[in-house]
Amino acid sequence: MPSSIKLSYLLHKLKSNLFTIGFFIPAFLYLVSFFVIILVFLLKFSFSEGIPFLELFSANEFKAALWRTFWFMGIATPLQLVVGLLLALLIQQSYKGVGMVRSFFMIPIAIPALVTAIIIDLVFSYPFGPINDLLLGRHGFFPQITGVPVNWSGSEFLSLGLAILGKTWRDMPISMLILLAGLQTIEREQYEAARTMGAKSWQEFKYLTLPLLTPAILTILILRSIENWKEFIFPFILAPAYPLLGVLIERLYHVEQNPALAASVALCLVALIGITTLIFTFITKMVRKYLVRV
Amino acid sequence: MKSLRFILICLVLFFIIFPLFMMTKYSLSDRESIVTGGKYPEPFFPFKPNLEMFEALSVRKDFAGAGLTSLWVGLLAVAFSLFLGAPTAFALARFKIPGIAILLFFLLSVRLFPDISAVIPVAELLLSRPFSLLPPVILVGLAHTLLALPYTVYIAKGVFESIPKDLEEQAHVLGAGKARTFLKILTPLALPGLGAAAIYTFFLSWNEFVFAYFLTFQGTQTTLPVYLLRILTWSPQKNFISAISLVICIPVIIFTFLVQRYMKEGLTAGAVK
Repeated sequence: MPSSIKLSYLLHKLKSNLFTIGFFIPAFLYLVSFFVIILVFLLKFSFSEGIPFLELFSANEFKAALWRTFWFMGIATPLQLVVGLLLALLIQQSYKGVGMVRSFFMIPIAIPALVTAIIIDLVFSYPFGPINDLLLGRHGFFPQITGVPVNWSGSEFLSLGLAILGKTWRDMPISMLILLAGLQTIEREQYEAARTMGAKSWQEFKYLTLPLLTPAILTILILRSIENWKEFIFPFILAPAYPLLGVLIERLYHVEQNPALAASVALCLVALIGITTLIFTFITKMVRKYLVRV
Repeated sequence: MKSLRFILICLVLFFIIFPLFMMTKYSLSDRESIVTGGKYPEPFFPFKPNLEMFEALSVRKDFAGAGLTSLWVGLLAVAFSLFLGAPTAFALARFKIPGIAILLFFLLSVRLFPDISAVIPVAELLLSRPFSLLPPVILVGLAHTLLALPYTVYIAKGVFESIPKDLEEQAHVLGAGKARTFLKILTPLALPGLGAAAIYTFFLSWNEFVFAYFLTFQGTQTTLPVYLLRILTWSPQKNFISAISLVICIPVIIFTFLVQRYMKEGLTAGAVK
């Protein structure tokens, strides 16, 4: 008799757990199986089809793309941080119409990245476009800056600069929101205390806001550097002649029809992101320690 | 200080509005306003603003086809991700699951891959048999579900957590089983929040380019962003391209103003402790 009680208890437990499992499993199974598929495909393609990684690393095309991506990440990340901080400071306090301003600051993230890239391409078109018209001094109100129209997509520096501009424009709201959340955790009393001690607003920013905002700033640096490593759409549209790693993957897959090589570059990109994240996490820990000690 | 802030806000607003203004301007432009031949600067307002481009778009079958494809892909992604994600979110919000932190990590892990890296295996998988027999709408819908599902689970988890537990207990006392409680009591209460997740998913899919581009690279049927790129390579006419861009943007801009609160949650999810 006891065994049957035990059995029914077990059955009951299984039944109730089955319910939990049944509820939990759908999305979990979908996401994890895709995770496994992606990982296995990338590894299998990169290693089993005889792609010599050393050869890939020494290929000029890959090396150039790697350097470009590195510079793209290295310039775009701090730029996005500064822009995000400016925007967050502008909408942090409450004043008349702040809600409206905030809504307008959110617009860029709503515009599809592809559309943003294409509009920038149109605005900076060569030889005749609105920006070139301005720089050539063809509008009365603007001084002439250059004698010949600027060919934006023809220069590595300028076309990648445009890609950084586009990426920064589109992702402004993300950095802004994270920094805004960070700013709002700083208590009002601390500012009041600083003010009674005679701190000027610049000093307040330097000695109070910035140190207390450090966690949010580090979060942004991690998230943005990941995001910038893997950027594809803006350089794809604005700097097709100077491929970043993402653009190189697309080209290897579609133009050269070489999925194995594309997969190995894709795997390199994953590894780079992993390494960057590790480095930044380490820095974050060190900075936290330092902050606590002070 | 106040005037400095005002000036800065105006500058940033100008910086944000300028590309949108240019897009609108081009889409309303006549030929003389965009093809200047270098004889005169491009005007800031079109000489003869008109709706010709939109009229041309309205009769184009390929444009209507791309619009419908985008719509269907978005709806499929919403249906898939709610159907898969809502129960999971409920389980995460209510049941005690051992090792939940690891499970949560696995839920998000697929988003650790860059889109441009993940798209190669996904395209290789979905473009080979048996998946390639499915219509492209479903393939792109499946890919977009993959992108949206972690966010759906995250938003829906918050929604279920905000519903008081007493309700379930009362339903249980009155004799309702767990499944019935979920369907009859919780789902109706959660609908507004799930609606926000649905809108978020829909516009993620509406804006998405990379996966749609790879999955419909060879076919004729494609979504609006990919259609826009194809038009750009075939006939780069400033006014026509801008008109298509504007049509893609308008619904998104409107809804951004409506669902901002939830967008914020989706964007900053897990970012700040």
